[in-house]
Amino acid sequence: MAGKLLELKDVSKAFGAHKVLDRISFGVSAGEIVGLLGPNGSGKSTALNVISGFLPSDGGEIRLQGDNITNVSAQRITGHGLVRTFQLPSMPHRMTVREVLQAGASGNASLASMLKPFRFDDELDELLESFRLTHVADLPASALSGGQKKLLSVATALRSKPKLLCLDEPTAGVHPNLRSDMVTILKRYRDKGVAILVVEHDMLFIRELCSRCVVLDRGEIIADCAPRELEDNARVVEAYLGKAVEKGKVAL
Amino acid sequence: MFDFFIHVASIACLYGVLALSLNLQAGFTGLVNFGLIALFGCGTYGAALASGMGWHPLLGLPAGIAMAALLGLFYARLGRKLSSDYWGIATLSIAEIIRISVTNEQALTGGAQGISGLPLLFAGLKPYDGVARLALYAAVLALVWLFCQRLVKSAFGLSMKLMREEPQLARSLGYDLDRIRRVVMLVSAAIAAFAGFLYAHYLTFVGPDQLVSPETFLIWSMVIIGGIANNRGVIAGAFLMQFAMAYVPFVKDALDLPTDFVAAARLIIVGGGLLAFLLWRPKGLFPEKVGGSNGR
Repeated sequence: MAGKLLELKDVSKAFGAHKVLDRISFGVSAGEIVGLLGPNGSGKSTALNVISGFLPSDGGEIRLQGDNITNVSAQRITGHGLVRTFQLPSMPHRMTVREVLQAGASGNASLASMLKPFRFDDELDELLESFRLTHVADLPASALSGGQKKLLSVATALRSKPKLLCLDEPTAGVHPNLRSDMVTILKRYRDKGVAILVVEHDMLFIRELCSRCVVLDRGEIIADCAPRELEDNARVVEAYLGKAVEKGKVAL
Repeated sequence: MFDFFIHVASIACLYGVLALSLNLQAGFTGLVNFGLIALFGCGTYGAALASGMGWHPLLGLPAGIAMAALLGLFYARLGRKLSSDYWGIATLSIAEIIRISVTNEQALTGGAQGISGLPLLFAGLKPYDGVARLALYAAVLALVWLFCQRLVKSAFGLSMKLMREEPQLARSLGYDLDRIRRVVMLVSAAIAAFAGFLYAHYLTFVGPDQLVSPETFLIWSMVIIGGIANNRGVIAGAFLMQFAMAYVPFVKDALDLPTDFVAAARLIIVGGGLLAFLLWRPKGLFPEKVGGSNGR
């Protein structure tokens, strides 16, 4: 795992007696887009919460750029270059889309720099344009549709110039045209060296975007391969479709 | 009548400063502080301390601000462990503990009798001293308003609003919510203490009755009625409430009502006004302007 931007080693998490993550280990390199897949309840979002500091882990080690970030608070982890989005992004009622996007730029800034006057710059306008949010830029962020809120949350995370971007179901509720725009935009950031870890159910999106997939089932990693190899992986097929009871048939 | 107007306007200016302080906390950052009056009390007792110890009266200001800063940091520290509503209850309790302690302590605070004989500002300018004081208080109010406007329109102001509405999003972007809470409490505590210091030298008397919790709710009513998270609105609320309460005795005289009417009517103005606005116009007379940051 040497040289990986993000490294997980034997990371575990349980809620009471229920093991949600059971000693999982994988890594993500700079400039790599990795899909984190699995059926509902497999532990994907929990893994993202543990990696991003929103949940403490019960064991194991997480390193980002070599720094141990295991059980470090969420806001401090962001200082190491990891930014995440949420499955159901909630947006403020009394801040405009432009202001929320601007807020993405100052999360780790010093107090002195935050007190200086600021201007909405060209980069902010470009992000608005890329995510087709220019026409709603001055509306309250809460007034956006569910899909637009997803786009805004991804744009805001990118505004903070992350080294590793963790996305939790970024395309749910997003129009198909915008979904393909998102693939283009995320690949552009990948080419700049940003690593992306994406939890997603949309396999088309995963195939278009990711170079590698890590598949979880019941808290264990059952596959770590290229997206095109997934359908030939018996454990993955079983996890998604159920156990084959007879050759040529699957139990649904 | 003119002197009375000057008096009410002077008090309204000082309450306007207090309303701006509460607005930074509750309006822009979502810190529901029911113990604001204790921060104000640090300013009044700072002035009293300087007077009692025989210091130069101006030394009461840094003393009051230092006490308020410590108390503000203590409030902020409590906020790390308590959710918004429990924090509000905790601040109310602490303010009451401080008031009761001050009432029962004799050596420094003068106990229930308080401390009187503080120097009155501009006393030598008679008969224009009242106008001079009003001019000073209005200038202080304007400066505090300007400062608050700059603060809430800066990038730090964006972080305050993000913390108020979406703390999880703020954390995911790297904002240190404890630091935001600390800074807001420190700044607003200093503002409240400044108002307290001026108030003490206006009344020339400091006592624990000035720290009763209904005073906090009076400031809350100014913020809610004027327009929470609107700095101009809360100043308008402070003037509206002060003048409404000050002119109640004139209504009593005009309608030949019993003396009890005055106290009851003031309670109704605060409580009823608060309730009516919360029910029918929760954004207040001057609602918060969405998108008012400095960026363009």
